[in-house]
Amino acid sequence: MNEPTIFRFNAERRDIVDEVVSRVLAEAKDPLFLLNDAAYNEIKRLEANSGDERELLVTFRNLARSLGRMGDGERQTKLEQLARMYAWDVAGNFDPKVYRFASKVLPSLVGGLLSPLQTLAGGGPEASLREHLVTQGPTGDIARLAQIGTIVFVPTHLSNFDSVAFGYGLEREHLPPATYGAGKNLFTNPLLSFFMHNLGAYRVDRRIRHTLYKNVLKAYSCVLIERGYHSLFFPGGTRSRSGGVEEKLKLGLAGTGIEAMIRTAQRGRPQKVFFVPATLNYQLTLEARTLIDDWLAEQGRARYIIGDDESTQLERVLTLVRKLLLTEGSIVLRFCDPLDPFGNRVTSDGRSIDRRGRTVDPLSYLKRDGRIVMDSARDAQYTRELGESICEEFAKNTVLMSTHLVAGAAFEKLRAAHPKADLFGLIRHRDEVFVPRQEMSRAVGELRDRAAELEDRGLIALGPGVRKRGATELLDEAVRAWSGYHSFPVLTAQGDGYVLADTKLLLYYQNRLVVSGLGFSAARGSLATTSGGAARAGQEVSS
Amino acid sequence: MTVGILGGGRWGFALARAAQMAGNRAVVCTRRDTTDRPEGVEVTGEVHVLGARATLIILAVPSNVARPVATTLGDSTTGAHYVVHAVRGLSSEGLLPISAVVRQETPVKRVGALAGPVLAHDLLEGRPSVIAVASHYPEVIESVKSAIASPSLRVSASDDIVGTEWASALVGAMLVGVGFARELGISEPLISGLMVRALREAASMGVAAGGLEKTFYGLAGIGDLMAAMAQQDARPEVAFGQRIAKGARSAQLAAEMGVRIEPIDLVPRVVNFARQRGLKTPVFETLAAVIEGRGDVQEITAALMRS
Repeated sequence: MNEPTIFRFNAERRDIVDEVVSRVLAEAKDPLFLLNDAAYNEIKRLEANSGDERELLVTFRNLARSLGRMGDGERQTKLEQLARMYAWDVAGNFDPKVYRFASKVLPSLVGGLLSPLQTLAGGGPEASLREHLVTQGPTGDIARLAQIGTIVFVPTHLSNFDSVAFGYGLEREHLPPATYGAGKNLFTNPLLSFFMHNLGAYRVDRRIRHTLYKNVLKAYSCVLIERGYHSLFFPGGTRSRSGGVEEKLKLGLAGTGIEAMIRTAQRGRPQKVFFVPATLNYQLTLEARTLIDDWLAEQGRARYIIGDDESTQLERVLTLVRKLLLTEGSIVLRFCDPLDPFGNRVTSDGRSIDRRGRTVDPLSYLKRDGRIVMDSARDAQYTRELGESICEEFAKNTVLMSTHLVAGAAFEKLRAAHPKADLFGLIRHRDEVFVPRQEMSRAVGELRDRAAELEDRGLIALGPGVRKRGATELLDEAVRAWSGYHSFPVLTAQGDGYVLADTKLLLYYQNRLVVSGLGFSAARGSLATTSGGAARAGQEVSS
Repeated sequence: MTVGILGGGRWGFALARAAQMAGNRAVVCTRRDTTDRPEGVEVTGEVHVLGARATLIILAVPSNVARPVATTLGDSTTGAHYVVHAVRGLSSEGLLPISAVVRQETPVKRVGALAGPVLAHDLLEGRPSVIAVASHYPEVIESVKSAIASPSLRVSASDDIVGTEWASALVGAMLVGVGFARELGISEPLISGLMVRALREAASMGVAAGGLEKTFYGLAGIGDLMAAMAQQDARPEVAFGQRIAKGARSAQLAAEMGVRIEPIDLVPRVVNFARQRGLKTPVFETLAAVIEGRGDVQEITAALMRS
């Protein structure tokens, strides 16, 4: 395999920044608006909390005051200075020596994190990693495509652990490393910052909201794709709060894939761009409790928050500690079939094919009156449709493990015990419902069999061993996994059965089943309310 | 520009005539005998001729053959084509909009749908009319405007393609009810009242399918309904409803009439769709009973008055 493109990143960095700046300036139709917008948003942000950025606040205040007096030339110069400042701030770094070092060290680190007891006992981190982190999917095809064009990896996002697991998965499958935009907050830890900074991550400051900054980010991403730097975006935007698989995506940066194709084609050297969706599936999620709390708070607004217990804050503090206690972990990184930027499947030799298997030239989608043209409305729609194709791939490639199935079966029991309760009513019934072990085991078995049928139809995937193991075995495995990890029991063993203890975590883990229709969907519940609204309108007429 | 039209029925040739009125060339692809075609309209039996000659292709065939026709079209199109359909129905499998069928069967992504009150004979005779076009792609809308908009045809645009397709299909179904009610001697005010209820039901189904409610109260919905109700017997669905009221059976009647009556297959399926989503659609439920020949007509009507 040739040396990955990213190995030459440092040599090209200045050139990349220059290109980003000149592109942002060329597209700045109204410099006065961009500067005003930047000053307004930054002053607002920094006045609320300037921290150690006091100087920046002064700079933007001065800018706001002097903008009206500036001539066109001066505004252009100011705009260039700002764009250049942001471009350098965003630009990543890549040190092959650090990469090689990290490739050796990370597996042990990750292995140790997944199974500290085994590591301490001398079981060998590599062995535990092989066991814990399973990679699936057409990795050979993806490796070939990486030689032909730029790969844009678009995985599901569940945990802060995702980028580490994904990076390790790429390395283990001999796939080239990918550059990705990481939140600036992750750069504050010196050790993490050192690795991220030297492994191709670029900085995205989510606090900065103005158009100029967004333009710099987009231009940066686009230039990297044009130059063949494989990239990674989490298209869900943030970690899935509910624990479910993303069904709607934020594809701002993914749209740069099409722009990169257009720009390179217009220069006569079209760069092929391939999107590779992937699902990251965990038997246990590091931040499950914090995430589901966030999600419920958002779903229920004040109504939920008032009814909550005081332990929430403490639990957030404990999350970090729990990370180190992670045992019995199991992760499946499953790569999906590659797509072109228009949602067409791509063969291993880089040809786009439509749903009937015909070869189609992806550049044809960019033509109007025979010429390849840029059209932001059209390209935004293509990107939305790509998002739909990515979601279809996510759904089909969601890997269900024992914790998801057991949570699904248990949540069904909770609903059966309280058939009239809504979501918030249900989760309040913690530590109340008792289910005999045999009954629970039967429910797990039935759910697994339904999941297996869906897997046979290519609609979902079952985790390693889930198909073969007995229902009781799955039940025991999930209970063991939870009790070794979460601070409070999810299911409490009592006599010859279980009490449904942590209803929120049951909801979190069962949410992974929603995309395949096997789990209770709170969102669809609320959709039913909307339909109910329409039905009520009908009744009004008839009354 | 050259506008390609796939489908040589009355509707296909009416659209070809509209293209001519807009100063364009029209090529119609059909395997039918086409003796009464408008002057100057080119006819071909080969789909690949359309793909080669036109960037914009209008699909004007009944919904039950839309998929195989689209599959054939897919062999002659690339990602550079625009395909707009003028089918007043939904696909027979899974209530898929025809635009989705086109996307499944061809490499084309830039799709759109035509709908609204326009009638074939108005276009053929050059009488001023109005038509709705919907697409997520502004360039598709522009292309349709260039193709058929003229002083005698106003083209009204929307980006709610799903809502437009559902509205167009469900209005056709409602017209069966109009014909049926008229034949029973139900007064026009009462029919209007029923249609208002039906339109609300249709809108709730359209919203559940992903469309916008306002589309049902626009050209593709109420506009189409008003035009069809004002024109006595102009639409075959109305005539179909009338003959059902006289005791004819749907299947036999459809064969006799020689045109495809989209609501025969559609209504039972949309009623099922509504039930699965907990939507209340008593008027459509009644329509389904009427089309399927279930129950006593007087009893059904009386129940509808009470509900």
